[in-house]
Amino acid sequence: MQSIELDAVVLGVMDYGEADKIVTLFALEQGKLKGLARNAKKSRKRFGGALEPFARLRLQVTLKDGLSTLNGADVINVFPHIRTELGKISHAAYACELVEQLVAEGETNTRLFRLLTAYLEHLDRVPQDASDRRFFEANLLKVLGYQPELARCACCDGELAAMQQLRLAPSGTGILCGSCARTGRPVSSDTISLLIRSLSTGRFGLVRFPPEGLAEAGAILDAAIACHLTRPLKSLAFMEQVSC
Amino acid sequence: MIHFSRSLTRLLGELKKLPGVGDKTALRLAFHLLKSPDNLSALAESLLEVKAGVRFCSICFSITEADPCHLCSTERDSTTICVVEEPQDILAMERSRAFNGRYHVLHGALSPLNGITPSDLKIAELMQRLEKGSIREVLLATNFTVEGEATALYLTRLIKPLSIRVTRLAHGIPLGSDLEFVDAATVQRAVEGRSEL
Repeated sequence: MQSIELDAVVLGVMDYGEADKIVTLFALEQGKLKGLARNAKKSRKRFGGALEPFARLRLQVTLKDGLSTLNGADVINVFPHIRTELGKISHAAYACELVEQLVAEGETNTRLFRLLTAYLEHLDRVPQDASDRRFFEANLLKVLGYQPELARCACCDGELAAMQQLRLAPSGTGILCGSCARTGRPVSSDTISLLIRSLSTGRFGLVRFPPEGLAEAGAILDAAIACHLTRPLKSLAFMEQVSC
Repeated sequence: MIHFSRSLTRLLGELKKLPGVGDKTALRLAFHLLKSPDNLSALAESLLEVKAGVRFCSICFSITEADPCHLCSTERDSTTICVVEEPQDILAMERSRAFNGRYHVLHGALSPLNGITPSDLKIAELMQRLEKGSIREVLLATNFTVEGEATALYLTRLIKPLSIRVTRLAHGIPLGSDLEFVDAATVQRAVEGRSEL
């Protein structure tokens, strides 16, 4: 079988046997795939220290149904500055776990690959900011087609821009206007505007949520993500326990 | 398919549970042991002895038969603690003969992707040791993986407020290696951590 080259981000690594590793990757050319790196713990020549979570690699892979074989890896970027802050490590792990959970194997998604690598590059370059996490989540949902409806009421389809007393829909999949909802978490129109801007800007660092807006955006996005998860995210629990 | 006796099949099954032992190796080991009954008895006795006698040291959580272990009870620098992930990491440190302080084994490393949090490690026990007041330096010797780095960063955050010096093992180009064959990330770290001559 022919070996091909892939540009990929490591989403997770699991020890297998004495010296092998099973690596979950998100590749530009192939989407999500799992690969077996034989002797990865001992062979410094083929893999070096490359098979680490959220590293971006150029990989030599023999594609197979189920578990592909990883033949070698060259580092494109290990994002060294992410590894110097616990908060950055947690957020990078969270982004990778979200992609790992929400993407099916073999589904190519160039926009999602660009979004993930842009987030990792941004985390590596600038101080960690909670707004960037929400920016990533909003765009991740958009790219995957899970974006919550932000312009119109999820019940009466009225335009939200002209309405007051907005609330988060109990299902977590949209916003309700004041006439359609009496209960539920209140959401300000400013937060909705910032979320819409996050989806149209396309660059990290340009949208900053104020503290109350961050909590509201968090409630909207967390609920929208939770609808599509099959199990709780380990990295999220980790983030909460180490408070970063 | 070859059928072995019940006891031999059980032995093969147990041997195959060991790391790096597959069908063929298990069979080879089993027949080797059967050919030398004295070795078989000695091996069985030593396994039972290990099971009965070996435990974790109540101070450093390394593997020991006597509690506290010899590293905690012999004459060493009691003002410095080296924190490692696993008991076997102590062997690597001791082989170097570069460290003469005490140890603390965490039994793992923090891992956001595998859901390993501080409560899964011996971190509370380390903090109890530090709060007694005689420690002046903590050397963090966790692995240079994402998990090891996360653990070191978390411990630094906990220990710094206690006014204890926190140090980390240096990292860079391995001794005896050619620069041209070293990966970019290692070279980058080595340049960042360069020292004046």
